[in-house]
Amino acid sequence: MKGTIVVTGAARGIGRVIAEKLAESGPFTVVGVDLSPELGLSEAIVPVQVDLTSESGPQQVRETVEGLGLPLLGLVNNAGITRDARLVNLTDTDFSAVLEVNLGAAFKLTTELAPLMKEGAAVVNIASRAYLGNFGQFNYSMSKGGLVGMTRALAISLAPTVRVNAVAPGLIATEMSKAIPENIREKMVSAIPLERMGTPEEIANTVWFLISPLSSYVTGEVLVVGGGRSLT
Amino acid sequence: MIPPPRIPAAVEVTPSDDLAGFLFWMDEIGPGWQDVKSELTEAFTGARESAKSETSMVFIVKNDDLLGRNGPTRAMAAAGLVSAARTAALEGVSKGWTANVVAYDVIVSPAEVLGRAKFVLQNGITTGEIIHLGPGHIGKALI
Repeated sequence: MKGTIVVTGAARGIGRVIAEKLAESGPFTVVGVDLSPELGLSEAIVPVQVDLTSESGPQQVRETVEGLGLPLLGLVNNAGITRDARLVNLTDTDFSAVLEVNLGAAFKLTTELAPLMKEGAAVVNIASRAYLGNFGQFNYSMSKGGLVGMTRALAISLAPTVRVNAVAPGLIATEMSKAIPENIREKMVSAIPLERMGTPEEIANTVWFLISPLSSYVTGEVLVVGGGRSLT
Repeated sequence: MIPPPRIPAAVEVTPSDDLAGFLFWMDEIGPGWQDVKSELTEAFTGARESAKSETSMVFIVKNDDLLGRNGPTRAMAAAGLVSAARTAALEGVSKGWTANVVAYDVIVSPAEVLGRAKFVLQNGITTGEIIHLGPGHIGKALI
C-alpha cells in the first residue's frame, strides 16, 4: 500500500539510515524531519526542517503529511540528544534539553499525527538500552524510560488501529559513539557477547520489521538491539 | 538541601517515621506534556540534592501507570522514574546510597506503601530495583 512514513532526526546517524532504508523498502514516501538545514538525504525523501520542541513544529510536520495526500502508515520517533553528567553535576538546562527533545517532542508529534493514521499503521520509538540504567545519564535514561512508558500506553490507546513499539539500541557505530575515547569504547565492546558495536543498518532493519506487516501481531514491546549486552 | 518527602496529603506520616533521604510519591498528573515535565523535573531536583548529600532515594509509582493503563503521560512519568532510579543506583554504589522504585497496586493501602518505601530507603542494600506491592504486575510486561 502506498503511503507516508515520518522519520525524525533523519539528517544523520541512525535516523538517516532508517529513513533511507524505509525509502528503498516499499512504495513509501518518507518525510525526513530534522533541525539541521543540511539534510543531504536522497531525493526519495521529503525533507522538513523544523524544531519539534517548538509550538508549531509538530503542526508543520502534520501539514506536510496532509499535503502529500497519502495515508500515514508510520512514524519513527528517532530524534535524540545527550548531555551527559553525573547526577550531582547535572544542570537544570541539560536536564530540560534532553527531556524536551527525546521525550516531549516524540509525545507531541505522535499526538499530532495519530489522528491521521489508518488501519495497519505503526509507530516505532527509538529508545536506548540506557533505559535500563547507564552511569552519567540520569536525564537521557529518564527520557528513554519515558519513551518506553509512552510506547506501552499508546499501544493500548491506539489499538487496534495502530501498533506502537520501541527499539532500544545498544552501542552503535555512529558519530556519537566515535566521540567516546577509544580505550573506553574498547572496554564497552569487550562486554558485548557479539564482540562488536552494532551498525545503524541493523537498527534500521529492526525498525523495518516493526513498521512492516511482518510484525502485525506485535505491539507495546521493547526490542533491545544490543548484541547481548544486557546479559553480561 | 534535600526537599521534604513528597507524599500525598491523605497519607499520614508520624513524627517517628524516619524518612532520611529523598522520597518522591508520583502525583496523578494531567494529560499534557508540561504535566510530565514538571513532575520529572521535581523528581530530578530532589534526586540531585539527595545525591549531593549522599543519601538514598525512593520513587513511588502505581503499577497501572507503569503498565501504561492510565494513559501516556502517567506512563511516561512512571517509567521515566524507573529508568532514572536505575541510573542513580549505579552512581550511588561507590558512595553507599541507594535508589529504588516502589510500584503499588490500588488495593494496597497508603500506609503499607509508605512502610515499604521507608524500609527500602533505610536498608542500604537493595538498589536499582522495582519493588512491586500487590499482584497486578504478574504476567504483564516487565519494564
